[in-house]
Amino acid sequence: MKAVSSDFAPPLKLISPFFSTGVVFYLLAMGALLFFAPDFTYAQTDVAGWVHLFLLGFVMMIIFGAMAQLIPVVLETGHAVVDVYYVIFPLLLVGVAGMVAGFWLMPALLPYGGLLVLVAMIIFAVENIATLKKTTIRTLTVDTVAWSNGYLLLGILTGFAIALGLSGDLAVNVGLMLKAHVYAVVGGYVVLTIIGLSLILIPMFSLAHGFDEKPIRIAFKLVVAGVGVVFFGALFGVEWLMYLGYAVNTVGILFYLWQIWLIAKLTVRKELDIWAKSMIFAFGSLILSIVLGVLFFLSGKNNLLHASVWFLLMGFIASMITGHLYKIVPFLVWFERFAPLVGKKKVPMLHEMYSKEGASMMFWFTAAGVVLGGAGLLVVNDTLFKAGASFLFMGAVFLFVTMRKMLAYGK
Amino acid sequence: MCDITKEMVYDAISTVIDPEVGFNLVEMGLIYDAIIDEKCNVHVVMTLSTQGCPLHQMITTWVKEAVERIEGVGEVEVEVVWEPAWNISMAHDNVKKALAGM
Repeated sequence: MKAVSSDFAPPLKLISPFFSTGVVFYLLAMGALLFFAPDFTYAQTDVAGWVHLFLLGFVMMIIFGAMAQLIPVVLETGHAVVDVYYVIFPLLLVGVAGMVAGFWLMPALLPYGGLLVLVAMIIFAVENIATLKKTTIRTLTVDTVAWSNGYLLLGILTGFAIALGLSGDLAVNVGLMLKAHVYAVVGGYVVLTIIGLSLILIPMFSLAHGFDEKPIRIAFKLVVAGVGVVFFGALFGVEWLMYLGYAVNTVGILFYLWQIWLIAKLTVRKELDIWAKSMIFAFGSLILSIVLGVLFFLSGKNNLLHASVWFLLMGFIASMITGHLYKIVPFLVWFERFAPLVGKKKVPMLHEMYSKEGASMMFWFTAAGVVLGGAGLLVVNDTLFKAGASFLFMGAVFLFVTMRKMLAYGK
Repeated sequence: MCDITKEMVYDAISTVIDPEVGFNLVEMGLIYDAIIDEKCNVHVVMTLSTQGCPLHQMITTWVKEAVERIEGVGEVEVEVVWEPAWNISMAHDNVKKALAGM
């Protein structure tokens, strides 16, 4: 029998700091975009600071909090040591702040911030691996948790090597190591995690049943292999290997999109709530990102690469996360504050626990911001890019406000 | 002789609402059977709309508690099965209309 996870659910007070802080970092990242121009290089330290603010402060912070809740659901067993999340949170919080401050203001802070993030991620990955050892089931999502944590460890090690390389303590090619690092973390951890959780969360919220899972199984194998090929290609400076890895990954993502299409065709819930709108926008952005990425490889024009990465990060990954926040956070709050009252008094439905108008404003401001900002990067137009950043900031304000209200509901 | 009927059990379970979709478990079509023996022990056979549902244990507890509120009921057992897998055709018409516009 499919086991149950509610006995293993961590308390809200453990998870909510990850979500509330992740949203604050998102707000800061969107505000910071106003100070960037659409013509930049990835070697700029201020760009590196923004990328770490967004990816570590927002994406990883939210994913870590979500995994505290979802790991027991996915693995059907309790955490090995769930209390480590109380340690992970402050380490990640101070580490991200230190790294961003290091990139933007005071380079001396960078290694200290990096070290704290490194420790937080090692604890997270080791706890995940220890929990994996407890599970007796073997599903695709379990496999993605295993592989993604393996890649996270590789990403951490390469990140540390970059830090040592920059300080002159280790003779490494920082440029190539950076590619290995980015690919291991974004492709190996973030994208693989999204692929694995998609198979659980998207059918759960859309009530889709009876779909063929073959495409996502192929997607998983191709993305695991592709990330590995790019990683080692970058590590050893073998360019053709990296291109082979990019191609394998692209095909893998196409299989993933095919799977999403199969699920979408069998979706029972037709209501276009904030989650459904966010999913449509996320997958549309992913398709656009792939098209722009392919055009970049054909033309070599950097603006195409910038726009492709933009739609991947801001359109796909961020929308996947924010859309799911409006499902996961009300559930966690409801589970903690209202589940014990069922049968004794009237309890709210999950969709009643957030402002529909606030969520809608968040979505439309964000969607407009992603499109305008992406267009600004594509045609290298500062006005368009700044307009996009302004819309994104407004969307982030609505996300921040609705998140605070969700977390305070019924308090 | 037990005078608890299947209808009474279904009525009791219909007070349990899925907080995600907002419908009760009976109109969702999640309750497959309620077997009542002569000592008024009740065995409920049900499913959930999705495997890995984080509310799994809680929902089965709510069902058990709802049935236990029927006067004169004996032991209550709730069994969750995955075959046949739930699909929207098992739901009542009002649910189909509200969720899927069918």
